[in-house]
Amino acid sequence: MSFTALLQAIVDGILTGGVYALMAAGLTLIFGVMDIINIAQGVMVILGAYLSYELSVHLGIGLLPGLLITVPFMFGLGVAVEFCFMRRLRDQDRTQMSILVTYAVAIVIEGILTAIFGVDYVQLQASYVNSSVHIFGFYLADIYLIGFALAVALLAGLYYLLYRTKFGRSVRASLQNRTAADLIGINVNRVRTISVGIGVSVTAVGGMVFGATNSFNPNTGYDLISRLLAIVIMGGMGSIGGAMAAAVFILVINDVVAVVWSPTWAPLVYFVALVIVLSFRPQGLFGRSAVRAQ
Amino acid sequence: MRVLRKCLYMALAFAVAGLVVACGSSSNSSSSAAAGSPSSSSSGSSSKSGGAPITIGTSLSLSGDFSADGQAFERGYQLWAADQNKAGGLLGHKIKLDVLSDSSSPAQVVSNYQKLIGSNKDALVFGPFSSLLTVPAARIAARYGYAFVEGAGGAPTVFGAGLHNVFDVSIPVKDNLVTFAQWVASLPAAQRPKTAAYATVNDPFTQPQLPVAQKILEAAGVKTVLNKVFPAEVTDYTAIAGQVATTHAQAFLLGSVDVPTVSAFTHVFIQQHYQPKAFIATAGPDQGAQFVKAVGPGNENGIFVPNGWFGGLKKSDSQQMVKEYIAKYGGTPSDVNADVAEAYSVGQVLAQAVQATKGFDQAKITQYLKSGATLNSVQGPVKFDPLGENLAQKTFTFQWQNGVLVQSLPTSAPGASPPLYPKPAWK
Amino acid sequence: MSETETNAGDPAPPLAVAAPKRGLTVGVVAVIAAIFVAFPLLVTDPTTTSIAFFALVFMVAASAWNIFSGYSGYLALGHAVFFGTGGYAVAVAARDWHVAGGWPVFVLVLFGGLVAGLIAIPVGLVALRTRRHTFVVVTIAIFFIFQLAAFNLSFTGGTSGILLPLAPFSAANFNTPFYYVALVILILTVVTSWLVRRSRFGLQLLAIRDDEDRALGLGVKTRRLKLTAFVISAVPIGIVGGLYFDFVGQIYPQFAFDPLFDLSIALMAFLGGLGTIVGPLLGALVLESLQQYLTQTFSSSATYLIAYGVLFLVVILIMPRGVVPGVSALLERRRVKAAVNASAERDAKVPGGVAGAAQ
Repeated sequence: MSFTALLQAIVDGILTGGVYALMAAGLTLIFGVMDIINIAQGVMVILGAYLSYELSVHLGIGLLPGLLITVPFMFGLGVAVEFCFMRRLRDQDRTQMSILVTYAVAIVIEGILTAIFGVDYVQLQASYVNSSVHIFGFYLADIYLIGFALAVALLAGLYYLLYRTKFGRSVRASLQNRTAADLIGINVNRVRTISVGIGVSVTAVGGMVFGATNSFNPNTGYDLISRLLAIVIMGGMGSIGGAMAAAVFILVINDVVAVVWSPTWAPLVYFVALVIVLSFRPQGLFGRSAVRAQ
Repeated sequence: MRVLRKCLYMALAFAVAGLVVACGSSSNSSSSAAAGSPSSSSSGSSSKSGGAPITIGTSLSLSGDFSADGQAFERGYQLWAADQNKAGGLLGHKIKLDVLSDSSSPAQVVSNYQKLIGSNKDALVFGPFSSLLTVPAARIAARYGYAFVEGAGGAPTVFGAGLHNVFDVSIPVKDNLVTFAQWVASLPAAQRPKTAAYATVNDPFTQPQLPVAQKILEAAGVKTVLNKVFPAEVTDYTAIAGQVATTHAQAFLLGSVDVPTVSAFTHVFIQQHYQPKAFIATAGPDQGAQFVKAVGPGNENGIFVPNGWFGGLKKSDSQQMVKEYIAKYGGTPSDVNADVAEAYSVGQVLAQAVQATKGFDQAKITQYLKSGATLNSVQGPVKFDPLGENLAQKTFTFQWQNGVLVQSLPTSAPGASPPLYPKPAWK
Repeated sequence: MSETETNAGDPAPPLAVAAPKRGLTVGVVAVIAAIFVAFPLLVTDPTTTSIAFFALVFMVAASAWNIFSGYSGYLALGHAVFFGTGGYAVAVAARDWHVAGGWPVFVLVLFGGLVAGLIAIPVGLVALRTRRHTFVVVTIAIFFIFQLAAFNLSFTGGTSGILLPLAPFSAANFNTPFYYVALVILILTVVTSWLVRRSRFGLQLLAIRDDEDRALGLGVKTRRLKLTAFVISAVPIGIVGGLYFDFVGQIYPQFAFDPLFDLSIALMAFLGGLGTIVGPLLGALVLESLQQYLTQTFSSSATYLIAYGVLFLVVILIMPRGVVPGVSALLERRRVKAAVNASAERDAKVPGGVAGAAQ
C-alpha cells in the first residue's frame, strides 16, 4: 500500500468532501433556522440532478449555465414546501413531526420522478466530466475541482449572507428567539420561508455536481440522506462551516480507510467516529452549546 | 369511556383493513405496467379443458433496487407470451400473464407468490429477479408442489438451499469469468498482463466469480496487486477506483451488478489516465444503450462482459425476438438488455415442458425438467443437472467493439470476433 | 320521557353522559380479541393470512417502539437493529445448533428476543448520552454500524445471508401457526405497554417526555428509566424479528437492517397516535395491510409511492397527533357540545315545572 495511494485518497476525500458539503449546507441551514430535519434533501438533490439532465439533454443547455434555471426552480420548491407543510407544524413536536412530513414529501417527489423518468440510471455528461488536471504527479478530476470551488464559493456566500447582511441578522435572531425576533419587528415567517428556499436551492448545485460524478435514478436519494445527516449532525446544527469541515472529515476518513483497510469497513469507521464525537460533544464539532434545549 | 372508544376504532380499522385485503386478493386485480396489454386474469382454477386461458404468475421487481432489471424481465415475459399465443398458446390455451410487483423486497415476494399460487391458483409460475428473492419464492412454490423455472437466480446460494423444484435457465454465475481468465492466461508471455486488480461489490452474484478467475490468472503468473470488496450502498467510488488506478494493474476484473458501478469506475479511470490493457465487468456492459450512455459513447470500446446471450447472437429464435423487441421499443440489437432474453428463455423452457408432458401437471413438469432432456431457448441449449443448474450452455464473453457488443471469447466459438487487445485508449 | 322530569329541588344531573359500564368495555375487548383469534379460521385465503401475519408483526414492532419513543418522547430511528439482531440470532442459532424448522424455531425466537434485549443495553448506554435530534442521528448511525457489521462478519453469512430451516407445515395451513405465535406475542406486548402506561414507571417516562430537565430536578432517575424503557422496547422487536425472518425463510444484511423499517414503525405509531396504546396498533394494521395491497395492485411503483406519500401528508397535517387522539378529540368536542346543549335545555325547562312535566 503505497504512500501515493494514501495521499491520493486524502486528496480525493477533500475534493469529494466539498461536493457533499454543498449538499449538506442546505440541510444544515434549514435545520438551524427551522429546527426541521429535511429528510427530503437527498431526493431534492436528485431532483436537481434530473433538472440539469433535462436541460442538457433536451434543450442543450450546459451544466453550469443550466444552474441559472435550476437554482431558482429549487428555491421556489423550497418555498412551496415550507409554506404548505412546514409552516403547519406546531413548535412543540416540530422536529419529530418534520421528519415524518419531509419523509412523506420525499416519497412523493420520488414517485413523481419515477413516473416521469422511469428507473433507468442516467448521468450528466459534459466535456469536462472526464478531464483532469495533472499536478505533482496526481490527477485531479476537473469536475471535482469545479465542485469543490463551487462549494467553497457558495458556502462563503451563505456565510456572508448570514453574518454580514441585515437579512442574515434576521435569520439568526429568529433562530435564537422567535418571540423576541417577532417583537422587534422581524417578519419571522418570511425569514423562515426564504431560508428554506435558500437551503433547498443549494441542492440544485449539489445535484448538478453529484449527477456529473455518479449515475443516479430516483432511488439514489435514500443513500444520500444518511450521509448528509451524519455530516450535518457531526458538523453542528446550523453551522455552515461545520458542515464543510465535517464533510471533508468524514469523506477523508472514508477514503483513507477504504484504501488502507477495506471499503466495506470504511462507512462503519466514520459512523463510529460520529457516535464518539456525539457522545462527548452532542452539539457537534462546531454547533453552539444549546441555547435552546439540546 | 376512552378505552371503549379506542376499542371501537380498533375493530373498525380491522374490519376496514380486512375488507380491503380480502377484496384485493379475491379479485385478481393485477395489472402489468409498461406494455399495456390487458393481462388481468379471472380468479380461480387453471382450467385445462379446451380453450380457456391459462394464467402464468410471476413477481417482478418493478421498483426498488432491482427495478431496471425487473422491467426488462417483464418485457421478456410479455414478448414470449405474445409470441406463444401467436403460435396457438400452450396446448391450445391462450396465455395470460399475472404480474405482481415486489419492489425488490423478500417479504413482498412471499406475499406475492402466496397470492399467485395460493389465492389466484395460477397454472404456472415464473421466477422473480435476483438470487436474493429466488429462494423465498421457490420455497413457496415447493410447498404447493410447483415447478419453479427462473432465469435470474444463479448464485450458489440458490442451488445450495436444498430445493428440488428450482430450474435456472441461465448459466450458474460462479464460472462466468472462466472463459476470460483462460483467454488471458493463454496469451503469449510478452503480451499477457503482468498484474491484475480485482474489485467487487459485496453481492452474492458477483463475489463467487472473482476467486475462480483469480486462481486461473495467478497460476498463469499474473500477479494480484489489489483485491478489494466494496459495499453496495456506496454512492461514490472514487476511493476504491482511485486505488485501482494507482496500482496501474494491466488487467482489471470488476464484480459489478449494475451500470452505475462500472460507469463510476470508468470515469475515475479516465480522470486518472489509467489504461488497463484488459477490463472486464460482470454486469453492466450487458445493459446495452444505458451502459454506453453512462460511460460516454466511445468509452465502452474494449470492455468485456460475460453472459449467456447478446443481441447479435446468430440464432433464429433469438434474432426473431430481438426484431420484435426493437419493433416495440426501438434501439439496436446491442441495446437489448440480456435480461429480456433470460425471461424469454424461461417462457420457452416451461412451454416445452408443458408440451412434452401434454398438460399442466406440476409434478410431471418437474420430473420432465429433471430428466435431463435438452431443451431449446434463445440463449442456447438448456439442460438441467440435479441441482437445477443449466450446464448445457457455455459462458460467452462479449466485448464492445466500435459501438457494437459482439461475441468475442472463446476465440474458437463460431462467429466470434477476435478480441480487441489491448483495450483502446479512453476517449 | 318521564326520566327527564325534574323537580325544582333536584340537583342538576352531571354534565357528562354516564360512562359505559366496565363490563361493556371488557366485552368489546373480548369481541375484538375473538375476531383476531378466529380470523385465520374464517379467512383461509393464504394471501390474506400472509398479509395479516405481516400486519401483526408490525403491530408488535410499532407497539414496542412506542413503549420507548412514545412514552419518553425520544424518537429512536434505529430499532431495526433489534429486528435484524433478533432475526440473525435465530438464523445463526438454527444453523449452528441444527434446529429443525417449525415449532422448534418458534421456541428459538425467544432467544432472539433475549439477544436483542442484551444488545439494547450497550446501544442504549451509548445513544442515551445524547438528546433530542442528536439522539435521532446517533440511533441512525448505530443502525448503519450494525448493517455494515452484518455484511462484513463471517458468521453472519455476508452478503448471501443465512437460510432459515423450512417449516414443515402444509401449504394450505402454512401461515396459521405463524399467525398465532405472532398474535400471542402481540397480546403480551400490548399488555406490557398497558402495564407500563399505568405504572409509576410509565408516569415518570411521560414526565421525561414533557420536560426532562424539570423531571430531573424533581428527582426522577432519568438515565435509568430511559435505558429500561429502551431495553423493554427492544425485546418484543427481537422476538418478532426472529419470527418474521423465519416466515420469509431467509435473512441477509440489507433486508435485515432496512432503514424503511424504522421509518415505517415510526409512521405507524404517529399515524395511530404516539404515546397511546391503541394508536400504534391501529397505525400498523392499516399501513402494513395497505402497503402490501398497494404494492401488489399497482405494479407501477410511481403510483403507489405517490399515493402513500400523499396519504401520510394528509393525515399528518389534518390529524398531527395521530388518528386515535384526533378522532378522540373530535368526538370529545361533540360530546361536550351535546352535553352543554342538553344542560341548557334542562335549565330552560326548570323555572315552571309544568313545562317539563308536560312531556
